[in-house]
Amino acid sequence: MDTQAKLQILSGAARYDASCASSGSKREGPSCGTGNTSSSGICHSWADDGRCISLLKVLLSNDCIYDCAYCVNRSTNPVERASFTAREVIDLTLEFYRRNYIEGLFLSSAVMRSPDHTMERMVRVAEALRTEEQFGGYIHLKIIPGSSSELVRKAGLYADRISVNIELPSQASLQRLAPQKNKQAIIEPMSLIGREIADSLVERKVNRRAPRFAPAGQSTQMIIGASPETDFQILRLSQGLYKKMNLKRVYYSAYVPVMADNRLPVLAAPPLLREHRLYQADWLLRFYGFSAEEILSDEAPHLDDSFDPKTAWALRHPEFFPVEINRADYATLLRVPGIGVVSAKRIVAARRFSPITPEGLKKIGVVIKRAKYFIICSGRSSEKPDQSPTVIRQRLLLGEGSVVSLPKQLVLPGLFA
Amino acid sequence: MNSYLYDGTADGLLSAIAWILEVEPDPEKVILSARKDTLFEEGLTINTDAALAESFFSRLKQYAPDAAHTLYSFMLAEKEGMETSLLHYVSLAFRHGDKVKGYLTHPAVRDIVNVAKKAGRELHRMKGLLRFEKLQDGAYLAKMEPDYNIIHPLAYHFSHRLRAQHWFLYDVKRRTAARWNKGSLQFGTIEQFTTPALSEDEKKVQALWQAFFKTIAIPDRKNPRLQKSNMPMKYWKYLVEKQGE
Ligand code: SF4
Repeated sequence: MDTQAKLQILSGAARYDASCASSGSKREGPSCGTGNTSSSGICHSWADDGRCISLLKVLLSNDCIYDCAYCVNRSTNPVERASFTAREVIDLTLEFYRRNYIEGLFLSSAVMRSPDHTMERMVRVAEALRTEEQFGGYIHLKIIPGSSSELVRKAGLYADRISVNIELPSQASLQRLAPQKNKQAIIEPMSLIGREIADSLVERKVNRRAPRFAPAGQSTQMIIGASPETDFQILRLSQGLYKKMNLKRVYYSAYVPVMADNRLPVLAAPPLLREHRLYQADWLLRFYGFSAEEILSDEAPHLDDSFDPKTAWALRHPEFFPVEINRADYATLLRVPGIGVVSAKRIVAARRFSPITPEGLKKIGVVIKRAKYFIICSGRSSEKPDQSPTVIRQRLLLGEGSVVSLPKQLVLPGLFA
Repeated sequence: MNSYLYDGTADGLLSAIAWILEVEPDPEKVILSARKDTLFEEGLTINTDAALAESFFSRLKQYAPDAAHTLYSFMLAEKEGMETSLLHYVSLAFRHGDKVKGYLTHPAVRDIVNVAKKAGRELHRMKGLLRFEKLQDGAYLAKMEPDYNIIHPLAYHFSHRLRAQHWFLYDVKRRTAARWNKGSLQFGTIEQFTTPALSEDEKKVQALWQAFFKTIAIPDRKNPRLQKSNMPMKYWKYLVEKQGE
């Protein structure tokens, strides 16, 4: 099979992997070599589905010995199989990089023969790129659950980001749908990576030349809707991963049926709205100072379909509003529906010069369509004061900013080890 | 209200601003424009002084690095008719430091910041969308037609990235070029451009990229509108993956 045919199979098989982030790492490449990474991340193209392309995203192989129920590559699914040689991946990466098509490589794989056998080949690609080819661009490696800690360590030394997919939100589901994997094999490398990242940060404070370990951090991914966990369970899991394991990102991917299997739910369509709401809630955890327990509870364990989680929270907490734009601190501004990080920063920066009026808000580019029910500017409001949550709820639902828009950045199932 | 004129060059603009800030007690009441030599033009022409322009810029950079960066991005846009706003912006920057960029309720600040943002956005975009082709002699060439005059910072970016290659950037409309070879970066103009022959394997690599580009999209999620809003069609001309569309 020629390289082009393999590329078609192995990039096609990788396209459901959600992570396209190439940011978070600043690496000045070796002076005689090729490549650096930029901390803000660069998109090199946008695919026909509108998603950003920044990395050559491929599987090393789709020839899997495992049979996870939710995955296209499961051994019992009759799809065409292919495997790259290390040389092929290295050459593709370099040729694409030199022409500025990509920021670097995202390499994942199905399990060939054994986890270690697969992981070793993946690490070899990264190692050759860094040491033989002096490649300084971005490398993201997926860790195959069950591979030895020696290989995980090596992967972290060559890659900017490494990730272990948590796959399903609970041990029980994992056992049912991916019986050949186990929680231990996933959690162990995750915590190992977390420790190594922390250690290398400490060491590099003392010694600038100490080796970096996955400088862009670790991320993970889980499939939503293939198993019965509630949104509350999922969010608490993510919260724990961010707090205890120091993860950079958790990716959620709506389950898309691949093959009939009586262990799997029958869905009319992939739960894209649910995935979108989880991403919104995840943002609240990471950037807005919310906790999972503020967003959901055992009594109300699912995210609202009609309102984004921040608006839903605001409607449950009328005592918090209205927020005074000219006095509220940054953290409080962030709690206002419709005011994001950018807007909150703009407000704080502009009110240093003079108090902001409702018109002034528009001038500095803050959209108040949704926020107007929750704010006042030096006592002035563009809305009637004292509206009850029920009234606000209705007005928001009646068109004013209630359109449920699907994510701009489409994120679909990532089904690979 | 005093009016001043300058010769229309970037150096002229900066030295005029430097001079006005020096002598005018209230620069925010001053009008500055490029000299067009029309009959009714009014105002005192300020001489261009490249050294003054440079020292002025580095002074601003020290005092308010972020505002200096905005000024730099604004200049990439080569906008005419906004000199007065720029003067007021710089004067405010010396008063408030980098906080000035938050003063978006001020019209001059808003105008300058918006233009600077557009130029900065195109620069960032081109860092991703620029495409190099390998030539017969082993060098790489990238052609582009950006709205703004971004070749300098763009070439600087690639001088960090594609260090081991010999490459050229060519701004087709402005006829300006940058060249990187063995650790040195040069700029110049090209009067007569003839497209050089491509290396033998170039078409093969391009076909691989086109194949990857096609397969990486999720087939039932085609979204041409989102694609175009992220990657406007004006940039497609030189995109390998968009040839023949
Ligand atoms: S999820 Fe990974 S291990 Fe499971 S079948 Fe798919 S490729 Fe194989």
